Amino acid sequence: MKLELHRLSIKSLKFGDNTGFKDGTLTVNKAELLEMISEDPLLGKNIDVDIAMPGEKTRIIPVKDVIEPRWKIEGSGQVFPGMVSDVETVGEGKTLVLSGCAVLTAGKIVRFQEGIIDMSGPGADYTPYSKTCNVVLVLEPSDPNMDKHDYEKACRIAGLKAAAYLAKSCAEADSESEIETYEYADIKTGMNSLPELPKVGYLYMLQTQGLLHDTYLYGVDVKRILPTIISPLEVMDGAIVSGNCVSACDKNSTYSHQNNPVIADMLKRHGKDFNFVACIVTNENVTLADKRRSSSYATKLAHMLGLDGIVITEEGFGNPDADLIMNCWKAERYGIKTALLTDEYAGQDGASQSLADSCPEGNACVTAGNANEVIHLPAMEKVIGYAEEANVIAGGWNGSLSEDGSITVELQAITGSTSELGYTKLGAYTL
Amino acid sequence: MVKEIERELPVVHMCTIVPISQTVGANRIIPTIAIPHPLGDPSKTPEEEKALRRKLVERALKALQTEITEQTVFTE
Repeated sequence: MKLELHRLSIKSLKFGDNTGFKDGTLTVNKAELLEMISEDPLLGKNIDVDIAMPGEKTRIIPVKDVIEPRWKIEGSGQVFPGMVSDVETVGEGKTLVLSGCAVLTAGKIVRFQEGIIDMSGPGADYTPYSKTCNVVLVLEPSDPNMDKHDYEKACRIAGLKAAAYLAKSCAEADSESEIETYEYADIKTGMNSLPELPKVGYLYMLQTQGLLHDTYLYGVDVKRILPTIISPLEVMDGAIVSGNCVSACDKNSTYSHQNNPVIADMLKRHGKDFNFVACIVTNENVTLADKRRSSSYATKLAHMLGLDGIVITEEGFGNPDADLIMNCWKAERYGIKTALLTDEYAGQDGASQSLADSCPEGNACVTAGNANEVIHLPAMEKVIGYAEEANVIAGGWNGSLSEDGSITVELQAITGSTSELGYTKLGAYTL
Repeated sequence: MVKEIERELPVVHMCTIVPISQTVGANRIIPTIAIPHPLGDPSKTPEEEKALRRKLVERALKALQTEITEQTVFTE
């Protein structure tokens, strides 16, 4: 399989008559975009589209999901299969990417399980989405008493439709894009051509606890699957979509799935340092039997593939720590080395136990930081959404929003601040 | 909380994710149904659910009265 990502570099955004790309600027026909989204009867009349640029004194709150605009210009299927396009297999051909641009869905859904994005100031350092030119959809349900599952789906689809629409509208500018090529050989070819290299896989854990903590694979609710194998290239075409309303810091946005750095880096090192054999997706369900079944099945797949090692990424925290740990020791007992990517909830002073579970086999662990760390976010000149949500958002408390408009919260409240895919601009170096 | 209360009183921890309960060091553990509904099961009728809840609570009370010498998971 070969996938070319055709990256159009978006440097600025403006509203205008025709949606399209010219000289680094993405022009958005606001009325056309609003009309397309408004087709959904579940969405209300007062929905809006706004723009937020890096460096602006703008705060967006509450944010549900972040999506990168992409559109397939060649190859089978279309982006976000099973969601806003057919279910055909993706991951081959050419996909146009509006690099440096993101669609944000904002508005009150579960309230405490949405996030904050600051476009400047100290909070901006903690979210990668302060560096993107953001098209913000401010949404509301047509009926305030609507079932939250229905409304979540409406918001999810609106964001995906907007992202596909924006990229599709720029297809004529493809000649100006920079091409990045990713190749993924079938397992037999990889095994035959790289016999001397260690065989490494990626165990990709997806949040699937129900009650609006859900992730979708080709439109299928992942809590209903047994662990399965996908090509890493499919992920780049939006085969995995977030439907998650859960703590903002470490839920994987659709954007971070599309740009999963573990996949990108493993593909780059494939054939040099190791043979990247396969990506195994698994879930994080709410019964012990499900956790045991999925961890046994996922690690069995790794064993059947003859893997020497796997990288495991977690999504979320708390009970998913139990899934992470079961995946770890079950793989290790097959003789498969593991490296775990997680974050920590070690309390505001950092002195508490970081994970809810642990095992002696988990001796190679990478952390994305302590989500309980407290940060003060100064007032912004503009707020897109509802500032008072800071008082109820996970990581905030009654009184988080001060009268002067500043906010004091744990990093937990900032979208993507402790991404367990490592999709963050912050890092640490060993000196 | 289980650990702190157990300084004074014996405690039964009723929980869904038993490995976490074991990791934090609960001594008497009752496995329950699911994280969002530990003692209930919305797929069952109200009568079945009540019977299920009673069974789990009675199991917990029995565990509380059982002498143990090591961390014990009560499945009956």
